[in-house]
Amino acid sequence: MKKTKIILIFALMLMLIFTACAQQTPVEEPDVEEPSSEEPVEEPEEIEKLSIAIVSPSSINDFAFTQSIYDAMLALQEEYGEDTIEFVYSENMFIVDDAAAAIRDYAASGYDLVIAHGSQYGSSLQEIAPDFPEVSFAWGTTVDTFGQDNIFAYEAASDEGGYVNGVMAAMLTESKVIGVVGPVETGDAKLYVDGFVEGVKATDPEIEVLVTYINNFSDVALAAETAETQIAAGADVMTGTAQMVVGAIGKIQENGGYWFGTQADQANFAPDTVVASQVYHWEVILKEIIELRSQGILGGRSFVANLANGGEVMAFNPEIEIPDDVKAAADQTIAEIKAGGVSESPEIEPLDIAIVSPSSINDFAFTQSIYDAMLALQDEYGEDTINFVYSENMFIVDDAAAAIRDYAASGYNMVIAHGSQYGSSLQEIAPDFPEVSFAWGTTVDTFGQDNIYAYEAASHEGGYVNGVMAAMLTESKVIGVVGPVETGDAKLYVDGFVAGVKATDPDIEVLVTYINNFSDVALAAETAETQIAAGADVMTGTAQMVVGAIGKIQENGGYWFGTQADQADFAPDTVVASQVYHWEVILKEMIGLRSEGTLGGQSFVANLANGGQVMAFNPNIDIPEEVMEAAQATIQGIIDGTITIELP
Amino acid sequence: MKSRLNAILDALLPLFATLAALLVGAIMLIILDVNPLVAYGALLNGAFGSSNALAETLVKATPLLLVGLGICIAYRGNVINIGGEGQMIVGAIVATWFGLRYTNMPGWLMITLAMMLGALAGAVWGGIPGVLKAYFNVNEILSTVMMNAIAVQLLNFVLTGPMIDPIQSEKASQIPQTARLEEAYRLPRLVPTRLHLGALIAVGLAILVYFLLWRTTLGYRIRSVGQNKFASRYAGIKVERYIIIALMLSGALAGLAGVTQVYGVNFRMITDGSTSGFTGRAGYNGIVAALFGSLHPIITIPASILFGALLVGANTMQRVTQVPSALITALNGLVVVFVVSSEIWRKKRQQKRLTIAIEDQEFDEFSNEIPGHSVEEAS
Amino acid sequence: MISDLFSLTVLLGIISSGIRLATPYLFASIGEAFSQRSGVLNLGVEGQMILGAFTAFYVVMNTENLLLGVLAAMGVGALMGLAMGFVSITLQAQQGISGIGFYLFGLGMSNLLFQLLVGTVETVSGFPKVPLPILSDIPVIGELFFDHNILVYLAFLIVPIASFVLNKTNLGLKIRSVGENPEAADSLGVSVSKVRYFTTIFGGAMSGLSGASLSIALLNVFQLGMTAGQGFIAVALVYFGAWRPWGVLAGALLFSLVNGLQLWIQVLGINIPSEFAVMMPYILTIFVLTLSRSKYGAPSALTKPFEREG
Repeated sequence: MKKTKIILIFALMLMLIFTACAQQTPVEEPDVEEPSSEEPVEEPEEIEKLSIAIVSPSSINDFAFTQSIYDAMLALQEEYGEDTIEFVYSENMFIVDDAAAAIRDYAASGYDLVIAHGSQYGSSLQEIAPDFPEVSFAWGTTVDTFGQDNIFAYEAASDEGGYVNGVMAAMLTESKVIGVVGPVETGDAKLYVDGFVEGVKATDPEIEVLVTYINNFSDVALAAETAETQIAAGADVMTGTAQMVVGAIGKIQENGGYWFGTQADQANFAPDTVVASQVYHWEVILKEIIELRSQGILGGRSFVANLANGGEVMAFNPEIEIPDDVKAAADQTIAEIKAGGVSESPEIEPLDIAIVSPSSINDFAFTQSIYDAMLALQDEYGEDTINFVYSENMFIVDDAAAAIRDYAASGYNMVIAHGSQYGSSLQEIAPDFPEVSFAWGTTVDTFGQDNIYAYEAASHEGGYVNGVMAAMLTESKVIGVVGPVETGDAKLYVDGFVAGVKATDPDIEVLVTYINNFSDVALAAETAETQIAAGADVMTGTAQMVVGAIGKIQENGGYWFGTQADQADFAPDTVVASQVYHWEVILKEMIGLRSEGTLGGQSFVANLANGGQVMAFNPNIDIPEEVMEAAQATIQGIIDGTITIELP
Repeated sequence: MKSRLNAILDALLPLFATLAALLVGAIMLIILDVNPLVAYGALLNGAFGSSNALAETLVKATPLLLVGLGICIAYRGNVINIGGEGQMIVGAIVATWFGLRYTNMPGWLMITLAMMLGALAGAVWGGIPGVLKAYFNVNEILSTVMMNAIAVQLLNFVLTGPMIDPIQSEKASQIPQTARLEEAYRLPRLVPTRLHLGALIAVGLAILVYFLLWRTTLGYRIRSVGQNKFASRYAGIKVERYIIIALMLSGALAGLAGVTQVYGVNFRMITDGSTSGFTGRAGYNGIVAALFGSLHPIITIPASILFGALLVGANTMQRVTQVPSALITALNGLVVVFVVSSEIWRKKRQQKRLTIAIEDQEFDEFSNEIPGHSVEEAS
Repeated sequence: MISDLFSLTVLLGIISSGIRLATPYLFASIGEAFSQRSGVLNLGVEGQMILGAFTAFYVVMNTENLLLGVLAAMGVGALMGLAMGFVSITLQAQQGISGIGFYLFGLGMSNLLFQLLVGTVETVSGFPKVPLPILSDIPVIGELFFDHNILVYLAFLIVPIASFVLNKTNLGLKIRSVGENPEAADSLGVSVSKVRYFTTIFGGAMSGLSGASLSIALLNVFQLGMTAGQGFIAVALVYFGAWRPWGVLAGALLFSLVNGLQLWIQVLGINIPSEFAVMMPYILTIFVLTLSRSKYGAPSALTKPFEREG
């Protein structure tokens, strides 16, 4: 009786847990506002007749992103007539799940074209589109169609208009200070701002551009306050993007300055202030889509709205007397951009990259190096092209494996397993996802699999250079080294360092202590104290806990040599040089190979010769000339192979 | 009937407490500009959303359950074993060594022997603090904490030296890992997921531990020593022996958890210089799971699954929302605090019920099984 | 080579390492000793330490006010202590386990706040060394013992104070009686929960101070997870010291001195694997305690919640 009772209770519990979970799931399912009930939908009778639904993250009169597509629809209606083009919308769908439900709902209720007007809707679309092969989907702003033949992709080259605005702004400012108010440093906003800054700098590199991202799309008061701050800092010309900038426009207007707009024509809002606006005319692109559809092509193409195709137009405010030379320069710039003379971003397919790493992205060491590399890549290719996510602190190999598998399964093009401990997991996972590229570091082993890249750093090279310099700088002839666990990258660096010291002066004593721990800052500090007490006046070390050691050698007026990240900012009077990894050099090679259809199977080494490793000398420290010369000669020798590093 | 409902409510308490903790977590998510619904949707989806997710949850729950069972025994014997991390490591080292050393054995034989050896190693590693406590009055919290630190250095040593993968020892990178176990030695899996036989073994052991504690003399003595050392000694029980046995059993189960991690999940050992790199904090989280399960071996099964689901789902949540992973750690802590705090409601209702029960001259057997609230203690 | 260990430099080096390494343990362990003496086991010391370390660092980074940094760290530690008290005293939760919860919470929060508020590793100017007049002029010993920052002196000063409070004052009597026999204490009119709340809050504040001693006195930096398990060692040292401040001091010094010794063993190139060197303090701590055959038992009511009868 007792036993049955217990088993019964146990079974009930399990059931309850699972039903509780099952009941939870619908919470995700949003209460979709039924726009179809508000605006009666008629079954399309003629082939030309088209019903279109828009799903967008903000409000249709946001004066910015969403309004631009809404205006485009109105323009289309004007052109084709309201009888032919019929449209409904779901605005403020900032919850992606809700948007997904809305998209699915529209598709299911017979709309011909569903426009997902938000880059965040991509993965939802990817799931939904295959279920409705008859429906066309349009996804912006991006250029990725997921290879599906019923998805169109569209985006705006908003850097172009930004550039034109920048050129004009540079010519109009008297204070030589220009303010920029942005929302979140990503996507369309970043593209515009970057283009703007580039335009300013190309015109007058002396001008100071104050860029503030307020990390918010709606806080008008904060935008206004940002403008006030920038005006107080001297700005007399400003620009900004996203719906909250209306606050900023008001402030620059009060102060009699100029404003440059984007996304929508903002001249009406402040006729005496807005000089010009970059305006999107999505209808240009939507017309192409509609035409393709009428030919039976439901998707699979991507479009870019730019100055050349009229998807982007510069609207100059007639109320403002723009000086002739400024107007002329603007026209000249527009012409040049149309001819393809100004903008030059390398053309690659957009990539979704995921990083899995064992420590935190700001660990000042190993993980930070790959994170910084991704930022550098984004800088180069643009955030629309390189999209990346990360899972940090995955020190549990098991969890990392789950993360890697999950990323691969959810459509990422490339998954970077940034930890040598992830190897065997990768070996198992990679064969299941032949379309996905994997990169594994730091190692040189691809397991012979043609979708795994391997990468590692020849960290003994930088270690050797550091060692040569350290040997020349020590007066006590004792050098200290603090390491974590005697293996992998740390061991390689330390061995290279010791080799460099010994090659320069074999009489120098190198004290190497491995504390067998990556996080104990106090123990690293104490190790440094011990080595200093034993006579060390120059030190180096690797992994994130060395910050403790740097502090101690700094207190004692000695020198430090860094690795993995540029540590000069941390102790400007102590760090002589740092070996810095530039993984982006290697990642670029992988991306290039991938675009040619090679998904893996090669291994890369970041070294001094290929720029994957760079020696960063600290400008704050007066490095004696002969030391500097020796360092340069060593770097050169390693690059051209005249120096071979003897590792134990 | 009413008491059954009460028991169900009691058993579900950790679930409610977890939900309450997640509610507090929602505030943190909102501050970080993340929609909590999206986040928790991802959490649920990551833990239960597909057969693969469910399998991952169970894989995560397996070492928690094994360690947790050991904790049930130790707590019943009134010893606190926070040495699960070290015991897992040592058990895994010995079992891995054995599996790599002796090749070409039948798989079932190797797996059986490896498990026995791993459990034995864990028992020794747990037995040392047991001996020290029983005969030298060295507190087990101190010794188990220290033994964890010693075990991880042992791990670092064998993986960078004697047991390093021969392929790695030739390379410059020298990844600190052992070679992989041969295919035949791996625990059978429920293809195509990573769910392995270890999960089933753990559940079987849970039932075994239940019988051990309540149906054998050994179990009775462990519990009696745990409840009252002096009375037990007076009754002729060799108290020292049962303290050591409790810790050894606890260590053996943790050692076994280490073995299943190698033979069922990773097929090799690897170190990142800390304990958690190998154990995944299961040595600590197992304690939490056992407490979630009211220190009852059977209830620890769903408790481990719940906690495993939380850990697996939280990782998915991080991936989906891209919140710093630190938030997950903090949230994990909140759940533990909330669940352990919720115990008081159970306790209060229990006392109320007990009063009624005494009036009826009838004891509810189920409540009798829950520690800290047994009739002897409550009266 | 082994003979090198006995030179004066090495000896002095080991002792000064020991003093510095012992400082954070002393604060945290004394605080923990108080709460355990009153019957509350707080395993969350590590979490309180790291959150204290971050708080002190962040406050000093922004205000450059060291005292404020210390107070803020203690305040945050005390708050964590209060929460721990509420959970384990009022809600009578399992103490070992709730401590693990607070550990994870503190670890996660400090990491999260660091990422959101600071972002990259930076230094602050922390407490400077304060050579004590006259005393610091004594050859050898002066530099060794009387040339430290103020928190190091404070850590060692707290030991006799704590011992006095525990053994010679009314408060100490209350704490001990609440931990040994709460029923009796209660019948004599001592509020068990009030005393326990006091000790857990005090313990939390001391753990916060311990964290501050790392981030704004000894290291002047904050790095993710920088306490690296020291909070757990601090709890272990309370058992080593048999809940007595002087015993805690002995344990902290033993552990720290052996840690200093193993660093010197590596520096002098004595040929043993570094992993075994790192193990030394842990092994020796167990070993010494085993040999000493402590006759002290734990406070009888340790980990046992108290509830009034009826």
